[in-house]
Amino acid sequence: MDRKTYYGKFGGQFVSESLMNTLEELDLAFEEAIKDEKFLGEYHYYLKQYVGRETPLYFAERLSEKHRTKIYLKREDLNHTGAHKINNVIGQILLAKRMGKTKVIAETGAGQHGVATATGAALFDMECTVYMGEEDMKRQALNVMRMEMLGAKVECVRSGSNTLKDATNEAIRVWAKTAEDTFYIIGSAVGPYPYPKMVKEFQSVISREAKRQFYEAEKRLPDAVIACVGGGSNSIGMFADFIEEKGVELIGVEAAGKGIKTGEHAAAMAQGIPGTLHGMCSYLLQDEDGNIKLAHSISAGLDYPGVGPEHAYLKDTGRAEYVSITDTEAMDALMELCRLEGIIPAIESAHAIAYAIKKAKSMGEEEAMIVCLSGRGDKDVNTIADYLSGKGYLN
Amino acid sequence: MNRIEEKMAALQAKQEKAFITYMTAGLPDMEGIKALIRAQEEAGTDVLELGIPFSDPVADGPVIQQASYKAICQGATLKKIFQMMEEIRKEGVNIPIVFMMYSNTIFHYGVKGFVKKCKEAGVDGLIVPDLPFEEQKELQESLDKEEGAILIQLVSPVSGRRIPLILENARGFVYCVSSMGVTGQEGNFHKEIITYLESVKALSKIPVMMGFGIRTPEDIAPMKHIIDGAIVGSHFIRLLDQNNYDTKVAADYCKGFKAGMENL
Repeated sequence: MDRKTYYGKFGGQFVSESLMNTLEELDLAFEEAIKDEKFLGEYHYYLKQYVGRETPLYFAERLSEKHRTKIYLKREDLNHTGAHKINNVIGQILLAKRMGKTKVIAETGAGQHGVATATGAALFDMECTVYMGEEDMKRQALNVMRMEMLGAKVECVRSGSNTLKDATNEAIRVWAKTAEDTFYIIGSAVGPYPYPKMVKEFQSVISREAKRQFYEAEKRLPDAVIACVGGGSNSIGMFADFIEEKGVELIGVEAAGKGIKTGEHAAAMAQGIPGTLHGMCSYLLQDEDGNIKLAHSISAGLDYPGVGPEHAYLKDTGRAEYVSITDTEAMDALMELCRLEGIIPAIESAHAIAYAIKKAKSMGEEEAMIVCLSGRGDKDVNTIADYLSGKGYLN
Repeated sequence: MNRIEEKMAALQAKQEKAFITYMTAGLPDMEGIKALIRAQEEAGTDVLELGIPFSDPVADGPVIQQASYKAICQGATLKKIFQMMEEIRKEGVNIPIVFMMYSNTIFHYGVKGFVKKCKEAGVDGLIVPDLPFEEQKELQESLDKEEGAILIQLVSPVSGRRIPLILENARGFVYCVSSMGVTGQEGNFHKEIITYLESVKALSKIPVMMGFGIRTPEDIAPMKHIIDGAIVGSHFIRLLDQNNYDTKVAADYCKGFKAGMENL
């Protein structure tokens, strides 16, 4: 076993033999690129001039006042395309170009990673195909249109459950056939090595900025850092520069959906059964026969039955804590942030906000936390409206 | 001696090519698959691959994906398949049987327990398409210790310098994947297929089989002088599905293929 590809007992490369050389080639190219000043210069240029970084670390005054502790929000929602996903896409697409690939493929659930990939592909003149489950295409028709406007081809996946995990399976199948000229841009901190490492590298800009910004504001380190976890890309980016700072509590928030006990949730770590899917060994939602179960969350971006292998490792070593928030708790937090701060967060990010509010109860007024506001809620307005009309919230 | 290795030795002695089929375990149902196994043993199929249904079969094309999904919906589980195996072995069915399955099914069962159960149930080999050489250590050690089933190694057209590593301790036969990607690509072999098969054959101490995309004996005519046998999966599944899993159709196809290979 090649330990380099592992995080403790998690990670690895559980792919078909025909992809092993591709992964090695990718690993070499990636390691070389991130030591190359020219590559990094280009990456940071596009993050600044195209994505709009750095994003603010905003002190949420009214939220802090209400919950009697200092709450800072890392505003990834202000990035171009509305979420942190673009950070990773810019990095991977520059790498694809460097490797001489002319086509990119991606999987998408809610469509955010698909839109980010289509955006990057338009910018860098690459042919782009996005795999999306039939169910998700119906639920996220607007994002399908966005991707098509950006020149991407959206390929409808009709297999298994017709959702994100099946779209990922299909992208892996196509990649295995076409790796010679095609680069697979994985959107989350999942997949076979080096993908989890690569996604972390390209998302760690979040914590690098946040650490410095927080220091400028408070002249110290935060007491806690909180982020939502689906596959775990914004959270691994938010944790990255704090992992070595042992005094900083790291908290990942999974989606508890209708409640862990109902079985309808997306909290792979809460269930805690390791297994192999999408090229990695990690915690996965599984049934008693070892088949992968469907995840459930009101947030399409957290609706994934697994989690990135480094998160599984951070959980096992106790360095990070993983908790979960239900659909209802997330929607309540979402509305609270709208009303108190004038920010409509993505439902994904609202899970982190909801836990921050809980966490505030055990924190002092002088203590401080950073919450990663991974995306904006514009894409969720229909879901929010449906939810509210069922609940009668606005009345 | 392992049933697969015994069969390979016997075929080599007769200078005969091996014919291997793939079926999804649990289709049409557990009794139906038993009948198909018996019929094929009689018809002269040399080795049977049984696909263990998994929710996320990333190495499979649409035909096997759908078969796998259907089998799961009908309640096919690894436990029931093991039970079916035990029953059929008790009846005296002696054809070598290989499980083709995804790694998660094994890990979920528990590697040690799984390997032990394979031996008890008369499973002779394993093909695990998402368990490349680098990830095989735990399973391989367990298999070596139990001395029951053996792990069949897969080689792809782009394996290149990995081939010696993969073949070093390989047993039974080498499974050469004929194309990039997934099962069932309808005779679309890799453009370098001949050079690739020759390089594997030159390095291999054990028989070399080709699979993925084969439908008729004629499909393997261009490489008949290199390979030691053929594996038919997606095409066979489609044939069974279109003929209501009729044992006679299965047996006729197997007899025809086996004879066809000898007449190439």
